[in-house]
Amino acid sequence: MSLFSQRQFDQAARAYSADLYRYAYWLCRDRFVAEELVQETFARAWKNWDSLEDLAAAKPWLITILRNEHARLYERKRLDYTDDDPQELDLPSAAQAGSHLELEQLVEALPETYREPLVLQVLGGYECKEIAEMLGTTEGAVMTRLTRPRQALRAHLSDPAKARVAQ
Amino acid sequence: MTNCLDFRREKLADPRHLSPGALAHMSDCAACRGFSAEINENEAQLAAALDVPVPEGLAERIVLRRRAGARNVAKASPRLWAMAATVVLTFAFGFQQWKDFSSQDYARLAIEHVMHEPESFTSTRLADPQLFRSVMHNFGGEMQASLGKVRFMKLCPVPDGTGWHIVFETEQGELATLILIPAKRMQSQREQATVGGWTALARPGGQGYYAVITQSPETLGKVDELVRQRVRWRG
Repeated sequence: MSLFSQRQFDQAARAYSADLYRYAYWLCRDRFVAEELVQETFARAWKNWDSLEDLAAAKPWLITILRNEHARLYERKRLDYTDDDPQELDLPSAAQAGSHLELEQLVEALPETYREPLVLQVLGGYECKEIAEMLGTTEGAVMTRLTRPRQALRAHLSDPAKARVAQ
Repeated sequence: MTNCLDFRREKLADPRHLSPGALAHMSDCAACRGFSAEINENEAQLAAALDVPVPEGLAERIVLRRRAGARNVAKASPRLWAMAATVVLTFAFGFQQWKDFSSQDYARLAIEHVMHEPESFTSTRLADPQLFRSVMHNFGGEMQASLGKVRFMKLCPVPDGTGWHIVFETEQGELATLILIPAKRMQSQREQATVGGWTALARPGGQGYYAVITQSPETLGKVDELVRQRVRWRG
């Protein structure tokens, strides 16, 4: 690889590794696996660095690699998406988490199908169309997968007692 | 023309990228402005929750790995597979090494877990005595008296499931970690280890085993005694 490519790669590592780590963490919810996923992602990216035509597309490309690594790790061809209504999902209630209900736990309790696009949007700032391209699905499906968890989180944030009543 | 329903649909799907039509509607509709403000506030909370701390020096380790010849992926992958299966690592000065978990060295593994979660000593999380009591009960331990002030509790991935990582402050003001690992039976009645300035003692108890980890053998002895006096293990 040329010195130029090496510099580009190093810049990408410094610019995107933190975001990729957070994305990885919320995929696997384990900090050690998350770091290894990021390391593997960059190792694979470096192997194929010359195939990256547009440096501006590096981040979504890295996210796709990471996502594939994660899916490969758990021997899944694709993520198991569900159309369940999260209002009916088993989000942790205040009763379950004691008096210290944490938003983090609500997010952790979301099925991956909802959690992943939410993380990409909230942390990555991506639009629905971009997320759809990354996840290989339609923009409409992404909008649904973003709307439902927000509705569920909104319900819990505005009225945590509701969760207790529902138990 | 965007109406209230369209606006809310847009806002919930992508709060930061509203269409011109939605923006125009919001400027004319007080109810949707209020809705927007509420969603923005939720988003800020959500962003803060998702913003997990990134390991120090991560980017530099990636660069170093590339400089070291971008070790071939085939070599690295088995480690990741192994880690996903057991999620236990050794970590020292940025160097990570997989250790075979078939080892019976439970005390050492408990120390390694604590070393990987330094934020457990600086964060307050689920610091609820009642929740702690409930966790202990579910694990098979009945609290006869308080162990001290619980500061941090987290359900962590461990081989074959999840275990509780608890940090508490004793009545003498000493910090101690208690790790509860279900579904693992120790061969011996006690196991002690000292690694990297930490010392740990693992004992069978409840649904598996528990380990006490402290920074000095003296504190470990006191906390071990405290746990033995104040927790009655079922089974």
